[in-house]
Amino acid sequence: MSVVARRVKRKQNVIQNSNKQEENKQKENFSITIYKELDKNITNLKKMLGEPIDLVVRPFTVRGTEHKCAIAYIDGLVNDDLIHSHIMKNVQLETERKQLPDEKVKLFEVINNEIISASTEKGYTLDDLSNALLNGDTIFYLDGIDKVLLIDTRGWESRAIEEPDSETVIRGPREGFVENIQTNLVLLRRHIRDPNLRLKKHYIGRRSKKTIAVTYVDGIINPDIVKEVDRRLRAIDMDDAPGVGYIEQWIEDSFLSPFPQLINTERPDKVSAALLQGKLAIFLDGTPLVLVLPATFGNALQSPEDYYERWTIGTLIRGLRYLAAFISVFLPALYVALVSYHPGMIPQKLAFSIAATREGVPFPPFIEALLMTITMELLREAGARLPTTIGQTIGIVGGLVIGEAAVQAGIVSPIMVIVVALNAIASFAIPSYSVAISFRILLFGFLIASAVFGLFGIILAYIMINIHLVNLKSIGVPYSTPFAPTFLRDWNDLIFRSPIPLISRRPKYLQAEDEKSGNTGGKNL
Amino acid sequence: MKRFKHADELISEREIMIAIPSFVIGVGVLTFSKDMAAVTIAADGWIPILIGGIIAIMITWIVAKLASSFPNQTFLSYASCIVTKPVALVLTFLFAVIASQLAVLQIREIADISKQYIFDRTPVEVIALTFLLVVVYAVAGSRVGLLRLNMMFFPIILVISLLVIVFSLNRFEWNHLFPMLETDFTGYMKGLRSAIFSYVGFGILWFYTVLVKKPKKVPKKAVIGMCIPVGLYLFIYVSIIGVFGNAVTSNLLFPTIELAKGVEIPGEIFERFESVFFTIWIMAIFNTTAMALDICVFALNSIFKNVQKYKILFVLSPLVYANAMYPQDLIEVYTYGTIVGYITFGYTVFVALLLLVVGKLRGVKPIG
Repeated sequence: MSVVARRVKRKQNVIQNSNKQEENKQKENFSITIYKELDKNITNLKKMLGEPIDLVVRPFTVRGTEHKCAIAYIDGLVNDDLIHSHIMKNVQLETERKQLPDEKVKLFEVINNEIISASTEKGYTLDDLSNALLNGDTIFYLDGIDKVLLIDTRGWESRAIEEPDSETVIRGPREGFVENIQTNLVLLRRHIRDPNLRLKKHYIGRRSKKTIAVTYVDGIINPDIVKEVDRRLRAIDMDDAPGVGYIEQWIEDSFLSPFPQLINTERPDKVSAALLQGKLAIFLDGTPLVLVLPATFGNALQSPEDYYERWTIGTLIRGLRYLAAFISVFLPALYVALVSYHPGMIPQKLAFSIAATREGVPFPPFIEALLMTITMELLREAGARLPTTIGQTIGIVGGLVIGEAAVQAGIVSPIMVIVVALNAIASFAIPSYSVAISFRILLFGFLIASAVFGLFGIILAYIMINIHLVNLKSIGVPYSTPFAPTFLRDWNDLIFRSPIPLISRRPKYLQAEDEKSGNTGGKNL
Repeated sequence: MKRFKHADELISEREIMIAIPSFVIGVGVLTFSKDMAAVTIAADGWIPILIGGIIAIMITWIVAKLASSFPNQTFLSYASCIVTKPVALVLTFLFAVIASQLAVLQIREIADISKQYIFDRTPVEVIALTFLLVVVYAVAGSRVGLLRLNMMFFPIILVISLLVIVFSLNRFEWNHLFPMLETDFTGYMKGLRSAIFSYVGFGILWFYTVLVKKPKKVPKKAVIGMCIPVGLYLFIYVSIIGVFGNAVTSNLLFPTIELAKGVEIPGEIFERFESVFFTIWIMAIFNTTAMALDICVFALNSIFKNVQKYKILFVLSPLVYANAMYPQDLIEVYTYGTIVGYITFGYTVFVALLLLVVGKLRGVKPIG
């Protein structure tokens, strides 16, 4: 709480500073007012933007009158066809058929209401004007009027809708979000055709003024979540938000926690399922990723695939994923603990073969495990940064170097290779990249604990993780629900995924306003 | 801002139901069979365990009834109502002392047993310190979080106990249970004495009831919670006698761990099951210790209202550690444990009776 309070206070300071900046601006060579004279306005606009090469200003006269006017827009941010058909054509041609009033104020109104066929807003200050211009609107000036029209002509190139690379499913829809927020919201609308779907706009970034949309379904979501998110979003103060990660780090509850407290996704079906459960999604312009919140530990190991398959398969896959999570966190630590502290616990034959393979290995098991897991991390990171075509070579080189050469050179034992490989495969089986990475952090913690105290260390580390989990919250919702605080009803969709018709209520831990989900929802993330 | 109903600092009655067995089940389970087998014949120990359990359940009910009839009041405030403020302060302080002693005992015993079963070279001091630090980390977090931790660990603890019992069945010999009912009266009384202090734990109700959302439901849930350790103790005791026989059991230091030692996991994935069992059991001991230390902090905090929880904890932890390291050997720890057990039990009963009787005499009416 206090962190947020401090941020708000800091923001107030910043706002005071920005007032000073406004004063400075006035001292510079342009003014923030809009003049009545057209020429003065145009020079003022050019001065403000520093005469950029992509600013297009086109003065002309309203056909059939003596009135001078002009349009201004930024090339590339606007759709040229729209400017032509909605503004130029109408102002030049439509005016001829109409009886235009001679008085300037009335003429301005007529142009706004009758002539221009795109959606318009009126702008009164240079601030409105520059915001609109940089968003891709076209500015319409009329000589003698100290107001402008902001005409919506936005249109720019964007990527086609593709299947998201990071979250593929076999039996689900193949569409993913793109960088354009409008397209993304349309994708969401197509999933939820409910009049109660709310899309609230915020602007983020002092310099970038990015649009973010807060979306939720009114009547399902607990209003407290909306209020709390709104409060935290208002505290954000930064220049730009190039990705949702920036927002995530501003609004998350604990920045010290290794666990992601919000869900990242590129899948519209996942977002819509979450909204219908009573969660909230934050869209940011310019990124295909969407934040979904609040998140709980159970969400970390769920994938939309669980619901697209029949329940038996869904349940088994989910069980497999819990096993994968266990292996990805504990396996190397357990191996180190058993080999170096409790060799008696390993079955005799296996113990002999482990001892035989460890013959000649110069390092203790902990160093060996650390070497191998760090190499694994290097391979993974290198593979993620390289282009896909070269990325495969990494796999081959890594496989050869680690699998063959290191063992033959006697640096590591073959069993350690098996342990680390199994561990890596398990961590790739976790559906969310950010969760998988947090598990890798925990892995190193457990490895160190096991090197120092063996099994005792592992169990103490496990207890500590649990202490952290029960104290962690995501937007006010305890992270460890529905395990503790326990909501047994929600367990029908936790490790066990019961048949869809039986999941007839929204999760209790979200305290939705409308608990019964009918046939539409029940999908957990 | 209105917070989420379950995100606030209150717990449901289900959490208090689990807190009781989590507190009761600790180091005691590992050793109680030895004392019981020493004073009874064959498997007759089940009678004192059962009777002791029933007595414990009754006291639990009385304590829960008393505490829940003053909803939203801490122990200090309703005790002040009944027996005047100065007396209540003394009572609370004594609770703090006793709770800290329970924590001390758990820490010391876990260090000793760890040394015996999973480490042989690491010094007791280091093991105890590490364990204490984790406990302090838990107590420094939210109190409700601590009680929620019970919910996460208790199922695991129950499952591992049941595994040990089930996998011991193949070594079970019926003739170890006979002759039945041969123990004389003094044997039963001695058995009862050692049984009863294995059940000490209802004391947490004095303090944690204030956190419960619906205090009215506490007595019923607390009784159900208390039934769990009674059942578990009975099963474990009968299994141990069935496997080892009375004579062997009374000479084992930690009969329950020895029982786990004999377990063979089908498929032979790993051997020496007792290490796994004890490792899991650390969670049970952790729960007991953390709650004991937390109650100590809670009690002190209600006396020194203006002092921060962290400061109390910061001063308390070194004292607890020094205290835990004080006994020289296992026998001293054992004697110490017995004394603390008696005192805890006696004190809890004494306070319950005191509050009941004085409350009746002075006509203090429970609110709500």
